[in-house]
Amino acid sequence: MDEHLTEGYSEPCKQCGAVSWALSDGCQFFCRNCHNVIEKTQDVVDVSSFILNNKISSISSSSRKKTRREWMVCEGFQFILKLQAEALVGLGVCPQFKTDVLWDFWKRYLQITRQAYTRSPVNSFTNTVVSSEPESAFLSEASDQTEPMSASGHSTDGRSSVCSGSLDAACYLSAKERKSRQLMNMPRTLALCHLALLWLREAITLADLLRLVSRRLIPYINVYEEFPEEMQFYGRDAIIFRVETIPSYRKVHGEALQMAEILQLPAFPPVTSDCLLHPALLSLRYLMEVNLPDELHSLVCRVIEKSAMGKESFLTFNPSKPKSTFLFYDLQAAALIIVTMKLLFKLDDHVACLYVLAGSKMFSLKAWYMTVHPALEHARQREELFEARRPWKSKKVLIPAMKHKAVVLKRRRVVEQLQSTFHTLTGSVPEQQSSSPSSFQFLWGQEEDSDGPSLHHKHLNCMLEKRGKEKWLVNQAYWHTDLKRCHKKDCRDHYSELKHSLPRMYVWLLGLFSFLLRVSEAQVHKEVVEVERRFFGTPAYSLIILNSKKKKKGLKIYPAFVSLLRALEMSGC
Amino acid sequence: MDDIEAELGISRSVGNEDFSDSSEDERVARKIRPPILLHSSTAQARAKESGFHESSRLCLKAIRDAMLHHHWQEAAQYLSAYSQTLEDTTVNKQSLACEIIWRLGTEILQHHPNSRLEDFNALYEQMKNSGVKNYAKICLEHSFHLLLNGHIYDAKRQLSVAASWRYGKQSVPQSLDLKLIHAYCGFLDYVIWHMKKSSVSEAEDNSSNREMHSYFRQASVTLQEIIAQPGVWDPFVLSYVDMLEFYNDQEEALKVLQNYAYNKDYPSNPNAHVYLYQFLKRHEAPPAKLISILKVLHHLVPSHELMQEYCYLLVNSVVPGHLEESLPVVFNLLDYPSWKNDLDTWNCLLTVMTVFKRKGLQHLIANEWKQRKDFWLTMHYRAYHGRKDSELNRELLLVKAKVAKLLGEHGKPDHFFKYKLLIIFIFLMF
Repeated sequence: MDEHLTEGYSEPCKQCGAVSWALSDGCQFFCRNCHNVIEKTQDVVDVSSFILNNKISSISSSSRKKTRREWMVCEGFQFILKLQAEALVGLGVCPQFKTDVLWDFWKRYLQITRQAYTRSPVNSFTNTVVSSEPESAFLSEASDQTEPMSASGHSTDGRSSVCSGSLDAACYLSAKERKSRQLMNMPRTLALCHLALLWLREAITLADLLRLVSRRLIPYINVYEEFPEEMQFYGRDAIIFRVETIPSYRKVHGEALQMAEILQLPAFPPVTSDCLLHPALLSLRYLMEVNLPDELHSLVCRVIEKSAMGKESFLTFNPSKPKSTFLFYDLQAAALIIVTMKLLFKLDDHVACLYVLAGSKMFSLKAWYMTVHPALEHARQREELFEARRPWKSKKVLIPAMKHKAVVLKRRRVVEQLQSTFHTLTGSVPEQQSSSPSSFQFLWGQEEDSDGPSLHHKHLNCMLEKRGKEKWLVNQAYWHTDLKRCHKKDCRDHYSELKHSLPRMYVWLLGLFSFLLRVSEAQVHKEVVEVERRFFGTPAYSLIILNSKKKKKGLKIYPAFVSLLRALEMSGC
Repeated sequence: MDDIEAELGISRSVGNEDFSDSSEDERVARKIRPPILLHSSTAQARAKESGFHESSRLCLKAIRDAMLHHHWQEAAQYLSAYSQTLEDTTVNKQSLACEIIWRLGTEILQHHPNSRLEDFNALYEQMKNSGVKNYAKICLEHSFHLLLNGHIYDAKRQLSVAASWRYGKQSVPQSLDLKLIHAYCGFLDYVIWHMKKSSVSEAEDNSSNREMHSYFRQASVTLQEIIAQPGVWDPFVLSYVDMLEFYNDQEEALKVLQNYAYNKDYPSNPNAHVYLYQFLKRHEAPPAKLISILKVLHHLVPSHELMQEYCYLLVNSVVPGHLEESLPVVFNLLDYPSWKNDLDTWNCLLTVMTVFKRKGLQHLIANEWKQRKDFWLTMHYRAYHGRKDSELNRELLLVKAKVAKLLGEHGKPDHFFKYKLLIIFIFLMF
């Protein structure tokens, strides 16, 4: 049967010496006597014999055709969301996340984009099918009990078999159509999860979510491996579901904002001061993370008060209101900490660090830096090596087009064989350790595997002095960059221009938080500027701003401002 | 084959399909393009790359660091993670990946303590069949590896499979490699023939004799074909001549060697003349012939080690003009720093000069010396040289002194004054 395909090849088989070759399904040559498979595959021939080859290969595989189910792309996304929800619930989120919130959001989305739950769906051939499918698929295991009722109608429509496993993958290909119909994509699944988490005011911030995705605790890369067998997956589906980048913080945030608009959500539940997303509590968590003393927290709370960032109206996201901003809660908390540190220590590289004896109870900035910096460098290196070893390609092979099938299968085989060769070489396989999920990336304390000694118990008394009955900050000056808002709409940030002129300690601090939150330093800096805008937004100060010449750096604070600093008196700490 | 030009050529033209068949001269003449560094990229390019490409970039960096620090275990781990780039959907990155994995993989396997021949074989087989651009090169490298590890028959088998490979358009850019594959096929036939020859001489076995002869026939057909094309084919020529000599076909051997040495189409190659000279010497050719060959060699490479023999041939020759030619030959030889401390060369010079003195040809010596005296004094006759020679090689010191004496008769005596003083002092000391 395969003679004309293999006739060019007449090498004797290495094992049995016979010359009788045939072509397997994976387009590999194998010896008919001893079934020895060799590496040679079909050579590239000209087009005219290609069609012949295709026909033959489909005949041979027809006997093994499984029960095929026709599925829509949104079903695929539904499946993915289900997996993600289960993972999050497994990590400690309350179960209503999956059953109520996320499921409601998804139903609403399908309804608003008219892909399901509507009398006039966009895809004309999904009338009654989809409405019964999602429910069973979502709440129980995706089953093949319900056969699509209009399957007979589909078989005449040849769209399903030619270019993709799903029925409507072709719609997802043009960017225009994607935008106009507000179709789903992979980053949007994370955006939906983020919105749902925000609705429930869970402690998992967007930065945490992305970190969990990176650690593969939430399925995102190669989720399609988990699709059930009946959902045949090939062709154009690959482009929709294949992931080669973990989306950035900014991107997911943008998608979440768009989804909130699409879903026409009402005001979110208010973020109160007992909620873990509130800056007071979130900043406490970050203070512990970066090994700063606990006493700093009360200062941070004062800054929150003065900048009016603790109010519910400010913190709560309300998509229905036109001017409501969608906040970056984690970036905000980090920025608050940075501003507090600037108030306390000035951080302009000129102020001499107070020399503090080792073992004393006073907090010293220099000692803190010497403890945290090596840990940070190690963590950065570890992260880089983890990133270098990350497997992106899955074992379940994606075939973008039939003509590439042989090549893709062969490559997969070669990769697997290479990996097994090198694994036997190195002995044991160092598996990607599925790290136990932890909110903290650093461990401070006396344990063996800690990153350094803990400085949480140190005192800040050296930074405060008593003047009469009140305690004032020792540091009486503050610097900041230009606080004026840019008028240009697409002006992202000026950080790259400013970076070389900023104090190194400040830039290092930005680097620390940008590593923790997996964002760029520019974003952290922008948030710091936002906080400073709010903090210095009192009328007295704005008068000073208008009068003085604005420099990019090193704005000297006038004596009139000292009264503001006095307002930060610490009473009875 | 894997010279620097070839290496740079590969990394230079990343997306370039144009590996045109070119000899080495053409390659040099090709415009030098800046090499594309695989491991560094601009910040802009980095901002737009996907997570997958970022991972592979970081992985390559990790492999490079591990290899430079000789952490082979780590390097192997990272390389197995890097192998996922073979499935990259970006075309030019994927073809690069094949080459990277081939080269890095062989390097790591060579240094890793646990590597076995099967691992090498497996790697070569995989990489040969993934991506066709490097097929010929990988085949060659594979067979070299087998050859170096003593598996001559396996090497031969690999090459014969590779020699019959054709792949449409790809065969043309790789035609130079295919030619080499063909040549090494013949060479390996010769090696096997040689092995059989040494084993056959003990036992007079007819069948193995016939095998030996068949290998000879195969080898000679291939090698003849190869040597007929212009190029530098030293080992192939030697092996062919060796076989011909064994079968007592002197004329053919002579013809081949002469063609190799004198044909204008071939690049100028001093070794060709050396081989011809050695062959004729073995077969006791007349001195006049030997001298004519060595004359050409002298033009090409005045500092060749055969120049001493040439000199003696000229001195002992009966042809009138030859004696006078011998002096410049040996003086030229000593102009080169590689012969500075060679006792035999100095002895040769001494001999020639004494002969000349006997025959009354001092004016020739004077001519030669006049051209050279300014730099020879600093090159051979400084106090430093005297001290060094006295420690390391006293005979040389003596010979040089005698030469100096002879030369001193032609120049001002104070040229060598300091030197002579030093020698006397040294002799007085010991």
